[in-house]
Amino acid sequence: MKHKLLPLSETMHYILLALREPLHGYAVMQKVEKLSNGAVKLAAGTLYGAIDNLNKHGWIEPVGESGRRKVYMLTEEGSSILKLEQARLLHILSLYEGSESNEEV
Amino acid sequence: MKKFNIFFDFEKEEQWLNDQLQKGYRCTNISALGIYTFEKTDKSYVLRLDYQDYLSKERFKHYKETYEDFGWSYINSPCWLGGTRYWQKEGDNKNVIFSDRQSKRNYYRKLMYFSAVVSVMLLFISYLIYQDTGFYFAEGLSGLSGSLFWIGFILEIPFLLLSNLPLIICAFSSISFYKAYRNYWMLKEA
Repeated sequence: MKHKLLPLSETMHYILLALREPLHGYAVMQKVEKLSNGAVKLAAGTLYGAIDNLNKHGWIEPVGESGRRKVYMLTEEGSSILKLEQARLLHILSLYEGSESNEEV
Repeated sequence: MKKFNIFFDFEKEEQWLNDQLQKGYRCTNISALGIYTFEKTDKSYVLRLDYQDYLSKERFKHYKETYEDFGWSYINSPCWLGGTRYWQKEGDNKNVIFSDRQSKRNYYRKLMYFSAVVSVMLLFISYLIYQDTGFYFAEGLSGLSGSLFWIGFILEIPFLLLSNLPLIICAFSSISFYKAYRNYWMLKEA
């Protein structure tokens, strides 16, 4: 059965992409804002819930502390989820680009 | 300034609190008995309600720190096992605690469960009361006539209310459940 977090929501997707490097919660929000060119501004409750959830599913894990804040990073499992999502999105993109020529064949 | 109020509806409580803040106050404490403490301020604050189940000390610390990083401050309030958490900050362009549909939906889901549990518990308590006494209406009253009946009736009103209180609160909490359910449903996946 499909995992309940798949396909990834925009929030989850950006957080996982941001956590390919170790970051604490607030830095995740800043990075996501940058990665999305300002389009995705995570609020406190959304970020807290998402990190809690991703951690629970083992897609990210705490890897240490920076000052008093917990630092998280993507796990192996999280990486493989991103690969799956990448393949799914690449397929959709290919349909955008090649749909007309494919139909003609 | 202290104000007393009791809410069974999360959205109404949030609305009422924000109405108070708009009058130039900020909230400093909320007690278990429904006493909200405010102090005068010349800044403009916003307040948001969150719902969290029981959090261990460690998890609560992490929860609190995450919100504080975003400029929210935690308002002390009664929270033994789980329940409403109150967050306040100076108003700016980031006044929400939920920025996507999924997390908002999750919030309403938690409110739904909470109201459902409270409603069912109250219904059960009412059942126990009625099983014991029947629908409360003093039997002695039927023997009285005219003004004596009405005097007796008025004297009985407090008892009438008291024994029906669980059912009355159950009605409020069911309405709260329905509202949370409606919001939850409206936010579901397209």
